[in-house]
Order: sequence, then C-alpha cells, then structure tokens
Amino acid sequence: MLNRKMLRDMGRHKTQFISIFLMAFLAIFIYTGVGGEWRGLQKSADNFYSETNLADIWLYGNGFTEEQAQAVSDISGVSAAERRLELSAVGDFENTPALKLHFIENGEIAKPYLVEGAAFDKEDPDGIWLDKRFADAHELTPSDKIGFTLNGMKLTKTVRGLVYSSEQVFESGNDTLTPNFADYGYAYLSAKAFPMPETLIYGTLLIKTADAAEPEDKISAALNGKYSVYLEQENHPSISMFANELQQHKMMGDIFPVVFLLITLLTMMTTMTRIVTNQRIQIGTLKAMGFKKGAILRHYVAYGFFLALLGAALGLITGPISLPYLFYPSMSGFYTLPKWQPAYDVSFVLVSIALVSLCTAVSWLACGRLLRDTPADTLRPKAPKIFRHGLLERTKFWQKLGFNAQWNLRDASRNRVRSLMAVIGVFGCTALVVCALSMNNAMGDLKVWQYETINRYESKLTLNEAITPEQTDNVMAAVHGEAIMAGEVEIRANGDKKSASLLVTDNATLIRPTDIHLQPTELPADGVSITRKTANALGVEPGDEIEWHIYGAEGWTQSKIAAIYRDPVNQGLAMTQAHFESLGMVFCPTAILSAEKVTEKMDGVDSVTSTADSAAGWDDLTEAMYIMVYLLIAAASVLSIVVLYNLGLLSFTEMAREMATLKVMGLKSGKLRGLLLTQNLWFSTVGFVLGVPGGLWLTHIITSFSGDEFDFPISLHPAALLISFAFTFGLSVLVNLLFSRKIRRLNMVEALKEIA
Amino acid sequence: MVNTAKEIIRFTHVTREYNVGAHVLKAVDDATFSIRDGEFVVILGPSGAGKTTLLNLLGGMDYATSGEIMVDGKNIVALSDDRLAEYRAAHVGFVFQFYNLIPTLTALENIALTKKIVENPIDAREALNLVGLADHANQFPAQLSGGEQQRVSIARAVAKNPTMLLCDEPTGALDSETGTVVLEMLQAMSRGRGKTVIIVTHNAILAEAADKVIRIKNGKIREVTQNPAPKAVSEVNW
Repeated sequence: MLNRKMLRDMGRHKTQFISIFLMAFLAIFIYTGVGGEWRGLQKSADNFYSETNLADIWLYGNGFTEEQAQAVSDISGVSAAERRLELSAVGDFENTPALKLHFIENGEIAKPYLVEGAAFDKEDPDGIWLDKRFADAHELTPSDKIGFTLNGMKLTKTVRGLVYSSEQVFESGNDTLTPNFADYGYAYLSAKAFPMPETLIYGTLLIKTADAAEPEDKISAALNGKYSVYLEQENHPSISMFANELQQHKMMGDIFPVVFLLITLLTMMTTMTRIVTNQRIQIGTLKAMGFKKGAILRHYVAYGFFLALLGAALGLITGPISLPYLFYPSMSGFYTLPKWQPAYDVSFVLVSIALVSLCTAVSWLACGRLLRDTPADTLRPKAPKIFRHGLLERTKFWQKLGFNAQWNLRDASRNRVRSLMAVIGVFGCTALVVCALSMNNAMGDLKVWQYETINRYESKLTLNEAITPEQTDNVMAAVHGEAIMAGEVEIRANGDKKSASLLVTDNATLIRPTDIHLQPTELPADGVSITRKTANALGVEPGDEIEWHIYGAEGWTQSKIAAIYRDPVNQGLAMTQAHFESLGMVFCPTAILSAEKVTEKMDGVDSVTSTADSAAGWDDLTEAMYIMVYLLIAAASVLSIVVLYNLGLLSFTEMAREMATLKVMGLKSGKLRGLLLTQNLWFSTVGFVLGVPGGLWLTHIITSFSGDEFDFPISLHPAALLISFAFTFGLSVLVNLLFSRKIRRLNMVEALKEIA
Repeated sequence: MVNTAKEIIRFTHVTREYNVGAHVLKAVDDATFSIRDGEFVVILGPSGAGKTTLLNLLGGMDYATSGEIMVDGKNIVALSDDRLAEYRAAHVGFVFQFYNLIPTLTALENIALTKKIVENPIDAREALNLVGLADHANQFPAQLSGGEQQRVSIARAVAKNPTMLLCDEPTGALDSETGTVVLEMLQAMSRGRGKTVIIVTHNAILAEAADKVIRIKNGKIREVTQNPAPKAVSEVNW
C-alpha cells in the first residue's frame, strides 16, 4: 500500500523525479561510457604492446656491434636486446610518400603485428611487410610489388604481408601533426633484404628489461657511454601520445559525472525535503496509526533508492555500449590499433553502487529530521521560523530599495540553502558552457597561431639526410627559400632530463617564433630560447643555465636561457644560426621553407608539405575534441534547465501562499512574475560571475592533460563570453516563462485554504 | 444505567510541561481520572485547555513529564518509541478533525493500510460497509465530501480493531447535519461494538450524549461526571 503511495507521489512530482532519474542516469552513462571507451583502448593497446613484445628501452647511436648487443643482454635486469636499422626512404608514388624502413636482425622484440598475408620471415631477402594503412591508401595487397628510393638507390620488393606496428599507434611523419596515411608509412624488412648487407650498421638497439628494472647506468657502462639517446617506453612519442590522449578522456570521464552526481544529490535533497515537509501531517497520521519510525523512514528512503537504482542501472547498461562508438570513428583516423572495443571495469559497478547509496543516504538525511519529533508535534503544522531583521534592513539604503528588491532580499536570506543551490546550479551550467566554448576557442586559436602567425610559408621541403651543400643551394635558389634546421634534443637541468625539439633559423621570415603573448618575436642573438612548457617542466627561467645535446651527438653543450617563447606543437629550444654556430656546431638545414607553391621534384628533397594540407589535417585531429565540446554543451543545457526549473518550482511552491496573498491584495500576475524573475536573475548573475573563471579552470585542467607536446592557448573570446551569457540568462528567462502560466492559474482561495 | 465494566484507563497525577522560552507551561496539570471499558466519553473544555494534549498522552503520541498512565493494566509512560508505536497499533484508533487521509491512496487503500500494522484487521471492505461507503471504495479523498472523508477515517480507525477510538474534534470541520451522522457512528461503535470512544470537543451540548464527561480548564481536571441517562446523539438538541 505504501508502495502505491510512493508511485503516486512520484507521479505528482514527476518533474523532480524525472530529473533525479535523468541526472543519475547521465552520471553513470558518462562515467561508464567514457570509462568503457578509454579502458577498451587501454586494454587493446596493452595487449597490442605485449603481443608484439614491445621494447622497454630504445637506444640510438652510431652503430651497435653484435658484441655490444650481447654485452647489453648479459646485464642483469635486461632480458633481451636486439639490433635494428631504421632508415627513411621515399616511396615510388606520385605523392613521394616518406617510408620508414626497419631492417630487422631477429624479429623477437617489437615484432610487426600481422593483419594480412604471410608472417614475418627474417631470412627473406625480397619481401617487405608493409604498414596496412599505407597499403590501403595506395591500394596495395600481398604479392604486389612496391618500389622506393633508399639513399639514392632504387629498390623494389614484394609485399608479403600487411602489418600494424605497436610503435606506430600514433604514426606521423616528421612535419605533420596528423597522420596522413598516403604520405607516410612504415615497413619491416629482413636485414638480409638490405642492399649491401656487409655495410649494414645497426643504429638502434631494442631492449627488453626484466621486471621494472631501470638499468641505464649498467647499459651505459657496458657500452662505455657509446650511445646518444636512451628512450624509455613511457617517453616513446607514439606511446606517450596515446597514453596522454587516454589520460585526457579519463579526466573528462571522471570530472563530468561528479558534476551530475552533485546535481542528482542536490535535486534529491530539495525534492525529498519538500515532499517530507509537505507530507508532515501524513507522516504524523502514519505515526498515529502505529507505523514505526523505521517503516516510515524506509518508505521515504525508497523514493531515492529506486530512482537512483533505475537511473544508474540504465546508465550502466547503455553507457559502455553506446558512447565509445561515438569516439572510435574519429579516433581511428589518427590512431592505429588492432581492436576498437569498449572494456568493462569493476569500478563501473562500484561507482553505480556508490551513487545509489549516496542518493539513498541523502533521502535518509532529508527525512530523518522530521521523524525525530513526537507524533503529536508532527501532526501540528510546523511553527514558522522566527526571522530577525538583518543588518542590511536597518540601514537607510534598505528604505530606498523598491518592494521587489526588499521582498527578494528577504526571501533569499531566509531560504539560504535554496539560494545557494540556485547559484551552484547556474555556476555549474556556466562553467560547462565556458569550458566548452573556451576549448572551442583554444582549438581555433591554436590553428591560427600555428598556421598563420608562426608558419607563414606555403611549402615546406624536407631535405634528405644525405643532401649535398650544392643541392641545398640549388633548391634554395629554385624556390626562393629559407633554410631551417629542426631536430630532437635532450635537455638537462635541475637533475631532470627531457627530450625536446630544436629549431635553428637564420632569422627566417617564413617561420616566426612567438613570445608568451603569442606575438611574433625575434630570437635573441646571445643565448637559447626555450618554450614555456619545457621551461616549466624543467623549472628553469631566463638567466638559468641548461645542458643539451642533439640526439645522435655525444657530450653536452652548456647554454644560458635568453628568452622564453611559446609554440603550440613543438616544445623545446630555438636559437639563431649565428648562436648555434658560435657554440661550435655545424648548421645542417633539414628543411627549406618557401612562399611559393612547389610541385616539382628536386634532387635531395624527400617530401613537400603545404600549410593548407597540414591545416586540414589539424581539423581531423580535433574532431574528437569537438565531440567532447558538443557533449559538454548538451550536458550544460540539460543541467541548467533541470536545476533552474526545479528550483523555480521549489520556490514557487514554497511561496504559493505568499504569492496568493499578494495576488489577493491586488498585485497583477506580471508583477508577481517579475518578483520571481528578479530572483532568478540575481542568482544567475552571481552564478555566472563565478562560473566563468570556474570554466576556464576546468579547461586548464583538461588541456594540461593533453601531453607535453601541446601548448593550448586558453582564452575566452568576447563573442564566446556573450554566447555563454546569453545561454545562461536565456535559460533563466525561459524557465521563468514556464512559471508565468502557473502564476496566472494560481488559485488564491485554494492556496490560502491549505494548511501550511 | 450503571456501568459495571472493568476500568481500562487510569490517569494518576499526570503532568505535561512545555518549555516556552523562559517559562514552563503546564498543558496538563496533575490529571487524575479513570475510564471504563466501552464507555462513550467526552472531554470538554475551551481552546487551549489541554484537551488535545490529554488525548495525545493517552494515545501514546506524546510523553508525560510525570505521573502514570495505565492502559489495560500497563503503564505506557515509560515505553520507548517503537513500543509506543506497537501500543498505538494494537490499542488506539485515531479520528482527527481534518480526517488526515493519505491523499494519494483511495478510500479502500487508506483503510487497507492497517494490514501493514496489525495482524488481524477487520477486512477493509467490511469496515467501509460499516460506515456506509462501500460504493466509494475506489475514490480518492479529494473526490469525497468532508463527512465522507471523516467516515473513511473512522473506518480506518475501526479496521485495526483497537481497544479505544480517540477522536479530536471529529465534527469540527463539518456542518451539524453531517456531524450528527459521524457522531452517531461513533456512538454506535461504543454501544454496538463495545469500543471505548473518547471524544475531545469544545461543544458542551455533546455532553448530554456521553456516559462520562471530563471537564478540563487551564490544564486541570475541573470535574468528572457520570451521566445517568445519556441521550442518543440524534436526540441531542444542537
């Protein structure tokens, strides 16, 4: 019988209960949906890494001998070591794609993952195992022939199999942010396939460690320091890029459900308090009939329990099977994994249980208070609270306020919890909208910053490592270009080591470094400049000394930091050619920038990329981010409508008697609506003012997880501020309009007759 | 008519004090009286005399500050919350001035609620028959008139098959004609079914129909009179 009462009570308070259900559902839906998404990818990547026996350490140097490899694998803490040669080639296709070739000695560590065709054969001198996505882009299948140019030699191999590489989950050539599978690919070949096996020099040593050993010192000792780069798995570009991406999804998946959970609890608290207060006499009657406190408590607690249970269960079932598939298509555009499949986690159930328990606990809290009174007290109408005049009301200023302001100030100060919740609700809504819009701005700004402010060239010609100075001069002259030198460096400061990028320019006009305000600037002549992100990571500032060296070079160079600059995608060092040469190093151009559109092939040029193509690639990369943005805005809309409508309804019900009295006294409906609107607008203003910094902070948190490479320029454009303002206040007014009908229909006689 | 039934309720020096700000208000002050099984009792007094507090104390809805309340040989003053709830469930049927039906339950469902608290209640339909509302079983309280709602409320109280019915101004919200019907019903519960019925009212005329009249003023029992020849409710001149 009490269950029937519960169902009918729920029917009477549909809006609140539907919103509680909805919020509980959304909290779990997003948590399990996003959680299932990144956990699935995590699991897929982990399997991928372990199935291919991914290396734990990459060692790069000028060539490792068999004895050296043996010495390394003999170290305790090292379980295996294997040599490999990595070389860049140019594919024999119209678009001159870059092809990264791996010549493999044994094929035990970092094995290619076979998708199609025959398994890798380390004795095969004619076969090649090709990047599946590159092969797809060029419509190649096993047994096709592929031609490429390697160090000036034209070679042709037969495609034996199509593979994925666990080192290339995120595959991108040197110059582009986003993978273009037609322009860049990788391939595996047997060392026996190397054109001159006797001259083969293995520049890479792949190392598997036992347990969690970090044997750098021992390896260094075994090789007498004869290596240039020691790269651990977690710092590998592809692996860290993918891990950062998942980390960012995890952040989103963790933060937003918390917001929804808070709203669920908020709505639960207000709704249950209101129901229990309104049913005071009913509770007294049940007590008088002989129901025990426990039975009554159970009855009211069941409201929260069942709603949260239903919402959470639905979210738990639908989240992991729907949301991941919203992300996967755009993500698979730039990540390559053998499997795209959501995964479940025990935390899904635990969080659902926690949510249901919290909702139940909140209804318990809301009801418990009323049950402490004796039945006789419960049956009596609650004595009205005694209010004192606040300090404000004693000032002269108070007298000058109109009736509207006085009435609302009193009402707000006497219903502090309700007021606080309204402010929190608007705050949450504004924060979500501002976060979404500022992320939107950041991605747009980043594109302008990267492709208009910094990179002003039309074409970038990446030079072959073996290019001669004459060839360089010819290319420069042909395209009226400017030379730059880009590379990878390792920086050491304050006991920290960091891989970073290096840019050396001769005061080029086609690439302009930007200062911390994103304005073009000149590189100082007497020292190195360091990007803000790298400086922060190493804890250094202008005037400090750092040590660095180019990957491949042995020994360290000491430099003074002359300036801090910012770059959206390359974090590291920059300096002028003059300064670089003053340090005793040789400027070897790696690319030529040109303001012209270059299409012809030139000797010594590996590939040509255009800014327009790169900008288009950037749009693809950010697609997943935009999905997040839309999700955020949708969530913000639901959130604010639910919160504002509920609070409006709550205050309206609480004020019905006062409203009816005012109406009887002759106040028109429009004026009454004005009273409610004033209050809404006040709360919206406070919530909005707090929500803007809150949203920017949220963006900051989210973008700080985007990895070491990216520097997001967080800002909120005036237009975006205006949109979020219009959004928040528009909803406020909209909700108010929903009440105008209720006010018109407010039955004065009924409202006043009811026992309060 | 001399009532020879056994004594079922005895108040001995019962006091109920409330702290109102700085001073102490004695809502019931040293009340001593007794009621026999099956009696039709009227507690009379002006507003604020302490009638409702007296009824609440007897119904186990409130705690006495001092004194002893014996019901069927048991002192209920010292009982815990849950024991009191059990006492109310087994012994007391309440009828309120404003009926206090659960608005989201139908007439029949309101009565059927008793199944949740007592083991052998009178069947809900039978109870509804008793108050002549069998054909209103599926209507919600809001669809019933005040008198009908009060009759449902009586049926709900009776359905538990309690020792006594405690009625707080049961006709306070009703017109005299409807009020008469309700009072006749209550008198019938006493006369016909042998229930102890105790009615709190400020309406002195009702005294003529009662077996026993307890007059109370400022928390003190002024007078307890036994009515030698109680009239039927219909004969009382309103």
